[in-house]
Amino acid sequence: MTEVSLDELGPVDYVVVEFPAGASNFTGEMAAELLALVDSGTIRVIDALILTKDADGNVEATELSDAGELGELKAIEAGLGELLAGDDVEHLAAAMEPGSTAGVLIWENLWAAPFASAARRAGGQLIANGRIPIQAIIASIEADEATATAGG
Amino acid sequence: MPLRPARVGRVGVIRAPVAKTAVVAAAVTPGRGAPVAKTAVVAAAVTPRVGRRRI
Repeated sequence: MTEVSLDELGPVDYVVVEFPAGASNFTGEMAAELLALVDSGTIRVIDALILTKDADGNVEATELSDAGELGELKAIEAGLGELLAGDDVEHLAAAMEPGSTAGVLIWENLWAAPFASAARRAGGQLIANGRIPIQAIIASIEADEATATAGG
Repeated sequence: MPLRPARVGRVGVIRAPVAKTAVVAAAVTPGRGAPVAKTAVVAAAVTPRVGRRRI
């Protein structure tokens, strides 16, 4: 992993993308999009793992380097930081359905790092952050519509 | 395949079991129970000046 000063570190996020049994359709598109984000300096991939959960709920983790032909992902794999620990595998896999495979991706939001640094230098401190699910936006809009309909 | 030795025995960064989030695709993909119109409505709600009134 490239050495990064703590003050210059951007927010770090993760996703677990599940592929239900028989539903995966890998064309290389995901890898290309991920690489584009890296190449544009938007993100830096810190870690990646592939998890499988069998029908009995047993979980197996595979390093990206052990996942076979990596193609374009080889460049990313070379820079991984192995942030995740063994315990993390169980915690992340808790969200998976039995019989599924999932990709875990940890990344630094490079795009946010300069703003975060500036906020810290200005004396600010992060006290909350998060993501608004699209479902919540839909629910809010629908509630508005229902109110408007009832009122109109 | 086993995990790399460097991952074993370390303190993790994911502090607790992760809960499954609702599947977003089902809400925004055209199909049964998920009208495509919702996508446009959500897009409008997050577009500058087109968004909703706060009060």
